[in-house]
Amino acid sequence: MSLIELKSVSKIYPLGNQQVVAVANLSLKIKAGEFTVLAGPSGSGKTTLLNLIGCLDQPSEGEVWLDGHNVGKEEAKQLAKLRLNKIGFIFQSYNLIPVLTAAENAEFTLMLLGIDKVKRRQRIVELFAELGLQGLEDRNPSDLSGGQQQRVAIARAMAAQPAVILADEPTASLDLQTSEDLLALMQRLNETQGVTFVFSSHDPLVISHARRVVSLRDGCLESDR
Amino acid sequence: MLWRLAIRNIWRNRRRTLLTLSAMVVSSALLILCLGIFSGMLKDMLASATEQYFGHLEISTKGYQEDRDMFANFSVSDDFLLLLQPQVLGFSPRLRSFGLLSGQDKSSPVELLGVEPERERQVTSLQDHLQAGSYLLADDHEGALIGAGLARRLAVKPGDQLVFVTQAADGSIGNDLLTVRGVFATGDQGHDNGLVLVALPWLQQLLVLPGRLHEIAVRIEHPLQAAAFAAQLRQKLPTTLEVLDWGELLPEMREVVASYDVSRLIIVSILYVATGLGILNTFFMSVMERTREFGVLMAVGMRPGQVRLMVLLETLAMGLLALLIGVVFGVLLSLYMAYVGIDLSGSLTPITYAGGTILPRLHAVLEVTNVLVPAAVLLLVCLLAGFLPANRAARMQPVVAIREE
Ligand SMILES: Nc1ncnc2c1ncn2[C@@H]1O[C@H](COP(=O)(O)OP(=O)(O)OP(=O)(O)O)[C@@H](O)[C@H]1O
Ligand SMILES: [Mg+2]
Repeated sequence: MSLIELKSVSKIYPLGNQQVVAVANLSLKIKAGEFTVLAGPSGSGKTTLLNLIGCLDQPSEGEVWLDGHNVGKEEAKQLAKLRLNKIGFIFQSYNLIPVLTAAENAEFTLMLLGIDKVKRRQRIVELFAELGLQGLEDRNPSDLSGGQQQRVAIARAMAAQPAVILADEPTASLDLQTSEDLLALMQRLNETQGVTFVFSSHDPLVISHARRVVSLRDGCLESDR
Repeated sequence: MLWRLAIRNIWRNRRRTLLTLSAMVVSSALLILCLGIFSGMLKDMLASATEQYFGHLEISTKGYQEDRDMFANFSVSDDFLLLLQPQVLGFSPRLRSFGLLSGQDKSSPVELLGVEPERERQVTSLQDHLQAGSYLLADDHEGALIGAGLARRLAVKPGDQLVFVTQAADGSIGNDLLTVRGVFATGDQGHDNGLVLVALPWLQQLLVLPGRLHEIAVRIEHPLQAAAFAAQLRQKLPTTLEVLDWGELLPEMREVVASYDVSRLIIVSILYVATGLGILNTFFMSVMERTREFGVLMAVGMRPGQVRLMVLLETLAMGLLALLIGVVFGVLLSLYMAYVGIDLSGSLTPITYAGGTILPRLHAVLEVTNVLVPAAVLLLVCLLAGFLPANRAARMQPVVAIREE
């Protein structure tokens, strides 16, 4: 069974008295352990699709299934629970919580899950070592470089060992070298730990790292390879 | 962790937090002070009404307090007085007479109270308001303690002679000499201009009422429980006698006391509505500024309820902090006003109202409720003011919030 399955999904936004079709009748399956990039020009519906998979939004038509849950049928509280248990998010602009330190940001989901402090710290030490963040535990996000912040964001996304990590243009704010390092890191995590990644990007560099590229155009599937 | 987040969030915008905090601190401190001064005024009024004249309770023949009929007198056994003794702070048997008091060449109508000085001073506190001379002594047969206004009108001072003329119980005209021992000034015009304390045996002799009394004034420990104590006492008395508490003797005074709680709430509400709007504004701003952050928190799995709780904790934390500082300042200010106070007698005269006298001074009394009421209301206001922004934060759509720049 697929980890993620979209069945004839459409997402339509009302805009004034018009309607914007962001995703149109799209079907897609993603299995656990995949490393997928959603590619496509600006406005093609990448973010919208990630939001649907990530339980941040619900489809106008069709069904989105995540690990056996029909996302379209759940309530806000239930969606929050699904996100907490199944999904890790990485955003383009990092979006770390400014009042929390790097370590506290990373362990935030573990805290929400009610995991005790000792276990949380253990996991953070492990993750920070893996991500090359040792020594930065007590820094505030504002005192970290963009690449470091994005690695803390990856740590936060991975901490609770979610079924899938969704990343919306994770390298768009980073320079070439940092992007390259980060992609190599995520690829390694995918290969060694079997973490499922779904990216969105129109960056050829990112696309070149992907094992599967799903191309979108105007909300429709253009190619899948 | 939620607490930690809340507290750190408060300190993000230091200047705004400090401004809001100081508004809360100032309003709660001022409130505590205001209420303290208000209580002080009330206590002054109640004290002047009871401790300068009536006492907290009066035992007298039924109807006596309405017409003050000379013939409505009674006598009590020593047994009864012994029974009363342990339950009260003091009691004073009195006989009363109205008549004309003359000095060298001026006269004035007066009210004479025949008292046993040692007992009277346990009920009333005229000894604390002496302006000249001294209080009556126990064995002083013909001494008189007179009000300051009266002394001025009659142009007498301690040591001077007075003549009192009135009708005695047997129909004869009684008159006798008195010597001024002391002059009191309470601030209550009625008493200062027309009240005279004399020795009980002297007045009993003059009125030809040996061993008789018109009333027994009683002082108890808790003035506000006078009504209950009166009811209890009534059952032990012969049916010809009645017990009136100060609330019955001075109905207006009772209303003043009753309306105090209402006035207090009104003052508290007015001040806090203003403060509450300020807090509401601050928190709305701080929530709207963090829209994107709330979106992220919810995206990574924070439930709407937890978001609401976090914002409420922020307001609560701020409220608690303001409360702590506000209470300390308020109590310090009140303590200053309780022990030092501000004397306004240079610019104001005493006002007698509802049978009590408001003295021209700012003087606070520290009461627990005067601290607890503002404290509790401040917390309530904080929670109310936090509720709207908290709900707003909790209802945000994570997708929409994250897109916000
Ligand atoms: N809330 C919204 N209301 C109206 N239209 C929207 C909304 N969100 C997205 N759209 C529209 O839906 C379409 C797809 O948008 P989406 O953000 O998914 O594209 P994208 O592929 O992520 O683009 P980019 O590469 O620029 O991030 C666009 O035409 C966009 O204008
Ligand atoms: Mg996008």
